[in-house]
Amino acid sequence: MRNCWGTEELSVRVTSESRRLSGVFPGGEKGGLGLKNTAEAIKISKWKNFVNNDNTVGYVFAAPFIFGFVCFSLIPILTSFYYAFTDYSMGAKTITWVGAKNFLHLFQDEIFVKSLGITLKYVFISVPLKLAFALFVAFLLTRKSRLVTVYRSLYYVPSLVGGSVAVALVWKQLFARKGLFNSILAEAGLDTINWFGDQKLALYPLILMSVWQFGSSMIIFAAGLKEIPTSYYEAAEIDGANGFQRFFRITMPCLSPIILYNLIMQTISAFMVFTQAFIITGGGPNNSTMMYALYVYNQAFKYNNMGYACAMSWFMLIVMSAITLIIFKSSKLWVFSESGD
Amino acid sequence: MKKKLFAVLMSAVMVLGLAACGGTSEEAGQSGVEEQAGQGAAQGEEEQITLRMAWWGSQTRHDITTQVIEMYEEEHPNINIEYEFYSFDDYFTKLKTLVASDQVWDIFQLGGNFPMYMDKIYFLNEFIESGVVDVSEIPEAYLQITQDTDGNQIGLSNGLNTYGIAYDVDMFNEAGVPLPTENWTWDDYADAAMKIKENTGHYGSSGFTSSEFIAGCSTYIGQQGKVGEYAFFNLDLTGMGFEDPSMLEGYIQMRADLINAGASPDAGAEMEISNIENDFLVTGEAGMTWVAVNQFPTIYDICAAEGRTLGLAPLPRVTADGPSGAAIQSSQMLCVSQDSQHKEAAAAFISWFQNSVECNNVLRGERGIPVNNQVREALKADLTDGQKIMYDFVDLVGTFEVPEKINVLSPDGQDQVVDQYRNYIQQVVAGEITAKEAAEKTYADAEAIFK
Repeated sequence: MRNCWGTEELSVRVTSESRRLSGVFPGGEKGGLGLKNTAEAIKISKWKNFVNNDNTVGYVFAAPFIFGFVCFSLIPILTSFYYAFTDYSMGAKTITWVGAKNFLHLFQDEIFVKSLGITLKYVFISVPLKLAFALFVAFLLTRKSRLVTVYRSLYYVPSLVGGSVAVALVWKQLFARKGLFNSILAEAGLDTINWFGDQKLALYPLILMSVWQFGSSMIIFAAGLKEIPTSYYEAAEIDGANGFQRFFRITMPCLSPIILYNLIMQTISAFMVFTQAFIITGGGPNNSTMMYALYVYNQAFKYNNMGYACAMSWFMLIVMSAITLIIFKSSKLWVFSESGD
Repeated sequence: MKKKLFAVLMSAVMVLGLAACGGTSEEAGQSGVEEQAGQGAAQGEEEQITLRMAWWGSQTRHDITTQVIEMYEEEHPNINIEYEFYSFDDYFTKLKTLVASDQVWDIFQLGGNFPMYMDKIYFLNEFIESGVVDVSEIPEAYLQITQDTDGNQIGLSNGLNTYGIAYDVDMFNEAGVPLPTENWTWDDYADAAMKIKENTGHYGSSGFTSSEFIAGCSTYIGQQGKVGEYAFFNLDLTGMGFEDPSMLEGYIQMRADLINAGASPDAGAEMEISNIENDFLVTGEAGMTWVAVNQFPTIYDICAAEGRTLGLAPLPRVTADGPSGAAIQSSQMLCVSQDSQHKEAAAAFISWFQNSVECNNVLRGERGIPVNNQVREALKADLTDGQKIMYDFVDLVGTFEVPEKINVLSPDGQDQVVDQYRNYIQQVVAGEITAKEAAEKTYADAEAIFK
């Protein structure tokens, strides 16, 4: 949506500017020619009015976004809602309405229940860790040093390569049986760890990978930290507050709206985790890394149950909405707002 | 004024850009129709025809297939073949999306899972009758392996194939294990794997890739009772081919034991194998692995280059004098799609692909042993060591007693059963369920396909 408003604002500025310019020459170019073709003139001016209308210009500029949104988001979302109540599978030519059967089947599906549990576990561990780490690094990088921007960019790099397959492959190698981490352990004379072979352990390298990609939250935290007036800290210092007190009594409350924002964004994206599990573990061992999105993918494209997969997606939407809502509701208790309501 | 003009211009450019994007597919569709209309008028001789083709496989296959496509285009200047190639899983993901949009490639490769795509296959019957597809040099038995139960010719087989166990001769000797014999048993197999683990520290047997379900689990059922008494699925793919789930128990228990003993890779290590070329047998970390025999020459050459010798043994049996459960089957085949605008041209290419000696001199049986007699003889004249082992092996398996009718096809829905089955084995490994329960669950899952 940001694109949409952004372009509209820009176009408003452009058109008002041009209006001011045309005001300088009140007669306009056609004025001297008399009213030879009044109808045509009216037509032209109507057309001109339409073209110069703020709304027209705004929509034209927003058109690429609207086009993409309708074709690649809205229509698929609506059709998936329909498919969720059918037995649709890719390639099938007939679609049968099955009512709520797909949704009822969800809870008899052992793997579905397991994948839901695992995804929740992943979200509840990875998001707080990631945010804490991002805040910690952002805090370190608030000191006045020339190298800060360099460091900040460096720490952002893992987020740039984000959910890419390449990073997942590297991660797979690092934790492989004879990968870097096991080589280090072996060098140190310790037992190697079977990271992806042990079902109790396999999830943690994936969590670690998500924590490692803390860059985008860090940038937002860093911006938030800069906004906190230094006078607060000075005042606190005079009152004899130590570092911890300053952090917990000033930084945290002032930063809480930004923490809320990051918390929600990261929670949502953590629920949608797919690449790591797909590339590194394939959901195993014993489905201990069967993330929700991976199971949806398997059902849709591997097992040919598109209808069922759509039902799963809609169920996920409900779960995610509920959790987001809880976070929002709870924010009254912990998010500090300066307007003080 | 200038700024206003600029704004209008910019927006016009954007709208045009969008219109252009939206327009291409329509245009392409139109030109396709025109082309076909034109083809009718010009009797299809001089008309430029574009065929789309796709396959899955390894890098070797991509290289040689691309090469023969170029040969064909040179011989037939009016044919232009647009080709795509994928890994196995990606190929089927892509195929499913094309099936959904009615745009399946003109020529496409299918294996034993073809019943799922039956709607999209255009039978070759009429082309065989009209002589576009030449089957004069293909024995009836080899045509049958790519026919449906009603005798419709679904495609032409790319090659004969069967499953086997490839093993590292030196590792067997080092571990002091006797080499596999023609009718070794699963007990021998498990013993060998355990001993290799104990004596060399390597895996006895490498990962259980996707073919393991058919080569191992499904074959294990066929090996019990009399020849042809049991099969995993019944002959017309409408139900199960055996009734007692406990028939699976021994096999599942053996697999779990091997993994628990470290004689076979666990799920995490298995994920490190991405294709046959980096299988643990090939990397020297395992004594045995499963192969579809058309893969054997490739890995034989890789190991030979490192000074190691591979052997090829039949699948182990339940009892040494029991049925082998093995079957000669089609590795994969090329089919003409229902969506094709140029079915005849596509069929003609398939015929050339299987029958031309020149073409197969490049392909060299990489997809399996050719079904055309002339081609097979021509290739036999000049075999590498690995290929020679493969030919001898297929001849050997051909001498095993087989049931009158066999079913080597996979029903729609098997993918999920296989994934679940592999997961149950991991649960047995973790001690969550017993092998008996795993067998019962697998049976129930498989049965559910037909409900």
